[in-house]
Amino acid sequence: MSEAIKFLEPRKNVMSRRRAIIEDLADLLPPECLVHEPRELVPFETDAFVAYRRLPLAVALPKTTEQVAAVMKYCHRYGVPVVPRGAGTSLSGGAIPQEDAVVLGLSKMSRILDVDPANRTATVQAGVTNLSISDAVSPEGFFYAPDPSSQLACTIGGNIGMNSGGAHCLKYGVTTNNLLGVKMVLVDGTVIDLGGKHLDAAGYDLLGLVCGSEGQLGIVTEATVRLIAKPEGARPVLFGFDTSEQAGACVADVIGSGIIPVAIEFMDKPAIEICEAFAHAGYPLDVGALLIIEVEGSEAEMDAMLKSIVEIANRHDVKTVRESQSATEAALIWKGRKSAFGATGRIADYICMDGTVPLGKLSYVLEKTSEIVERFGLRVANVFHAGDGNMHPLILFNANDPEDAARAEEAGNEILKLCVDVGGCLTGEHGVGIEKRDLMRHQYSDTDLNQQMAVRAAFDADWLLNPSKVFPIEGRPAA
Amino acid sequence: MQTNFTAEQLADPHVAESEKILRRCVHCGFCTATCPTYVTLGNELDSPRGRIYLIKDMLENGRPADAEVVTHIDRCLSCLACVTTCPSGVDYMHLVDHARVHIEKTYKRPLMDRLIRQLLATILPYPKRFRAALLLAKVGRPFAPLLKGFPALKPVAAMLDLAPKGRIKAYDPNHVHPRPPEAKRRGRVAILSGCAQPVLDPGINEAAIRLLTRLGVEVVLPEGEGCCGALVHHMGKEDPALDFARRNVNVWTREIENGGIDAIIITASGCGTTIKDYGHMLRLDPAYADKAARVSALAKDITEYLVTLELPTAEAKGLTVAYHSACSMQHGQKITMAPKTLLKNAGFAVRDPAEGHLCCGSAGTYNIMQPEISAQLKVRKVKNIEATRPDVIATGNIGCMTQIGTGTSIPIVHTVELLDWAYGGPKPENVA
Amino acid sequence: MTLIPNTETDAAYVIRNAAAQGTTLAVCGGDTRSGFGNAVAFEDVLSSRGLSGIVDYDPAEMVMTVKTGTPVTEVEAALAANRQMMAFEPMDHRGIMGTTGEPTIGGVFAANASGPRRFVAGAARDSLLGIRFVNGRGEIIRAGGRVMKNVTGLDLVKLLAGSHGTLGFLTEVTFRVLPVPETAETIVISNLDDAAAARAMAVSMALSVEVSGAAHLPQTVRSRFLGGQLPEGEATVLRLEGLKASVAVRSEKLTSEMSRFGPVSRLGPDDSRRLWQEVRDVTPYAGMPKKPLWRVSIAPSAGHQLVAALRLEAGIDAFYDWQGGLVWMQMEADPEAELLRRYVRGLGGGHATLVRAPERLRLATPAFEPQGDAVAALSARIKLKLDPAGIFSPGKMAGV
Repeated sequence: MSEAIKFLEPRKNVMSRRRAIIEDLADLLPPECLVHEPRELVPFETDAFVAYRRLPLAVALPKTTEQVAAVMKYCHRYGVPVVPRGAGTSLSGGAIPQEDAVVLGLSKMSRILDVDPANRTATVQAGVTNLSISDAVSPEGFFYAPDPSSQLACTIGGNIGMNSGGAHCLKYGVTTNNLLGVKMVLVDGTVIDLGGKHLDAAGYDLLGLVCGSEGQLGIVTEATVRLIAKPEGARPVLFGFDTSEQAGACVADVIGSGIIPVAIEFMDKPAIEICEAFAHAGYPLDVGALLIIEVEGSEAEMDAMLKSIVEIANRHDVKTVRESQSATEAALIWKGRKSAFGATGRIADYICMDGTVPLGKLSYVLEKTSEIVERFGLRVANVFHAGDGNMHPLILFNANDPEDAARAEEAGNEILKLCVDVGGCLTGEHGVGIEKRDLMRHQYSDTDLNQQMAVRAAFDADWLLNPSKVFPIEGRPAA
Repeated sequence: MQTNFTAEQLADPHVAESEKILRRCVHCGFCTATCPTYVTLGNELDSPRGRIYLIKDMLENGRPADAEVVTHIDRCLSCLACVTTCPSGVDYMHLVDHARVHIEKTYKRPLMDRLIRQLLATILPYPKRFRAALLLAKVGRPFAPLLKGFPALKPVAAMLDLAPKGRIKAYDPNHVHPRPPEAKRRGRVAILSGCAQPVLDPGINEAAIRLLTRLGVEVVLPEGEGCCGALVHHMGKEDPALDFARRNVNVWTREIENGGIDAIIITASGCGTTIKDYGHMLRLDPAYADKAARVSALAKDITEYLVTLELPTAEAKGLTVAYHSACSMQHGQKITMAPKTLLKNAGFAVRDPAEGHLCCGSAGTYNIMQPEISAQLKVRKVKNIEATRPDVIATGNIGCMTQIGTGTSIPIVHTVELLDWAYGGPKPENVA
Repeated sequence: MTLIPNTETDAAYVIRNAAAQGTTLAVCGGDTRSGFGNAVAFEDVLSSRGLSGIVDYDPAEMVMTVKTGTPVTEVEAALAANRQMMAFEPMDHRGIMGTTGEPTIGGVFAANASGPRRFVAGAARDSLLGIRFVNGRGEIIRAGGRVMKNVTGLDLVKLLAGSHGTLGFLTEVTFRVLPVPETAETIVISNLDDAAAARAMAVSMALSVEVSGAAHLPQTVRSRFLGGQLPEGEATVLRLEGLKASVAVRSEKLTSEMSRFGPVSRLGPDDSRRLWQEVRDVTPYAGMPKKPLWRVSIAPSAGHQLVAALRLEAGIDAFYDWQGGLVWMQMEADPEAELLRRYVRGLGGGHATLVRAPERLRLATPAFEPQGDAVAALSARIKLKLDPAGIFSPGKMAGV
């Protein structure tokens, strides 16, 4: 286990009352909604950022907003930290607990409450998975647009916490652009509603502030999201290039030409091999870089758009162009891409970076990334959302070798700093979590961060909500 | 994922294998989404990722199993939906097998639990005992509601509920008489008679044999074969499971070496998954490793074999079939297209119910041991199937047939019964 | 006194002084939205006019950085030269507010002023990627950045957008721009009553034709669009934009689907552009400063129900944008705030903003939808965290 990033010291007054706290929580929740046996707590010690682990004090799995409110009210009264958890798929450690914290898991709140085709909205409980929203509204001809690669498993509550993106956000925007309202429990147990089926805020845009706040402002228990009519058709096309530079330049030219495809995804050679081995999607194995460009609309529209894209690709010496010929083939192409992270697990342990850079810097950053990783004696696979500059270098290492793991972390930090230095940011869609917390000062000045923390304090003055995350521990204003 | 085992621990080949499996897991959590118990209970402890973590913790610390771990492992259906979902290729099946053996060796279950498991292990694999038990169950059924009042007796009540309501046919091991092939000879196969299936529904193998014979395949029923061992295997009873496996390996090896067979045909996909795993189960037994691997390689689901025979396209029947893919079929053996292709080709309109990846809750003896979760899964499954408005439900596993059959009035048959009918055999009795 | 700092540093200095002395400031840009929000008691005016100019614009990146006092016309001209645009169609308030002056880009984002495309392409806040502002302590703060995907830290960008200068003085904005669609056309369905129009618009939005504007113009306003050239009767208008090949295909599909609701006609690119600009700027209700004007955001299917209910009790005139979810409502005399807001709550919620009213009525009516206690308290705490001395337009937004 890595130790480079510190967690807050457990609160003594909480640790000493552990037994009493568990007994009190047992009064607030049905027995199947509370986990507290030491051995049963172990599986909750981490999320998809496995390098860091902490056992929580207890895990509450409420079934209703009222139960969430009761737990929050109790924890607020006794100064017990709370770490919210959806499906625990965070790649930045957003759901990793700490010894003095109650994990508040929303996994039992997984009902779809309302589908409203006339207003194009769905209202769901926070524990509903991203994909099951689209599944539920599909018979009505709609879908929910943000599609993080983990959409099969990740919850809408977690998506709101991290303002999740995905491959198709190039056209449809990220979570914050598709979120209309939430029901949220504040730190003291007060339940508020923000937004609804209407657009825009009545006063300050608290919904916009809450989206992406990584569980630091409150616990979202229900969400109302915007639905979009399914396109008549969609066609992912594979473009293979000899080099990453050619692929990167092609992306910049496509965007610059005024064409906005639904998605432009990039994979380098190692990533192509990994994904093809898992999905058998027919990715070309004889190229150095691959773009998956998806267009949608009627056949005529797709043909017209593809024609322009192919012309641009030809200017960059594209080696192979392959259109998917069927829905099954299209699904396989996306399955390969969306399983990229997990499939990498077949060959090595990895940490996944998430920096975003201006499009014009893509090639440069790719090259530098290879240099950095090589310098640390490690390997890298690149797979990312090229259309919006959101990069995901996967640094491969051996988790059972502590030195290797430390090198991977260091290399990752260097890559993220590079992203900031070229005018980008530390994280495009995975969130800061614990992983990038101590790099925040590289992107923001102290004044910037202090202002963010001051706003945070308007919601949670005592640092009870997911307190070890997002903001560097040193230099925090006193509670 | 990082692991913490000592060199000494890793000297045990079972631990070494589990360590290798654990190293593959990247803790991404995709598996939770398709796990029937997680979507039902909403607790990570009842998800593959949670169980993997519990097992890891238990094995790393060399700890005997405890009540908490056992609770969550017991709730696993072994449906293997997680294995289909996992992008990293985590071999959950063999990990949970190892954990079950570890539990059986190191944990003392409460008395009632032990008795019921022993009872099931003593009765189910043996057709004559099983039939006798079913006759007794008819007498006992009125007491089922009463038993449900006692938590420890819920499995007994569940057993009584599951027993067939209709006439229980006499068990006659020689009920089906293989005949020489009727068409030009295309092959020779052994067919597994098995244990529970011929008691609950002897018509399945009759249909399979009729169809194969008609197609020119000689079917043999080697003497001495029996239960595949899956029932006890899933209870973590390693020695009896291996004994069942060795017995069948012996029988089939004899047949391979004498007459030669092209395949070992299995009509219950639950058994198929286990027989295909004999090679792995017996890998550490030098006397059996090779023979078992050969048997596993020959094991074929009936539909897997039939698609190789290139059956003619039959006339449309005007019948809508909801195809329920048993977990052991789609996840355990990765057979997804063959049954549907065959049914479509045979003239049936085939429907895929929503959430097809989710287990119906049968899962061997699961519907007896975990009646509450099983019942919820059954309701969900039946709802999805009925939404396709089928005339008949087809599946490839007797367990699913029993489970789903107790939840719907729509007739449910084995895929091979419909195929036999389509290619000249009798119409299945319960199809209107 | 009007303070017009020429640099961000000067602005910070001015604000620090004001904070030290407790001098209240009315923050403004081009002064075209004066009178928006609650009446403010202020001592000095702080204008962004001195901060002007495009800082950075790379068309290939589709991102522009501009100082906040820059006139919107300058921004639009630079974008147009590269066939790009602000997707959210910032509305021009001059007509309805009866103001002159030059709208600034800072004002657009401070008011989150969006037009007809908002319901599919997002509001001003959705295009805004990064900001620089001076908080009430006189500190210069940077939030967000210039890349489209960025979840690094709390999203103060969204918080400042639409805060009408009550949380900070915006000095620089970075926003995403999009290519101007190759062509546009509008389908007009005639003679639908409000309820039928709501149904037709909902059906159009469920089709895979990507309608980018959906408005319903009842008989009372129809003649005030396009110089009266829209066909007789009510007009339900649906806009299609994109590549010529796409629009042709989609237009045919939409026309055939909409024909079952009523007679369908089409407007070409020029008329289409003019019509949606008039919808955006609420042209029918321009030049009537005495009549209270409401902007109501509500679930699209509830918009016409709200109007129908109010009609029975008050003299109103209304038309709909955003598929019916944005209701522009002009009152004959009294704003009827309580009645209106009660109906909005009864129809599933939303918010009504009093955009314009004679001084006497403005003073008596909360301009922004009053919020529940918990949300109001939270908003007040946030205001304190950004503007501890309470110098920025105190009272402009409800309670803060």
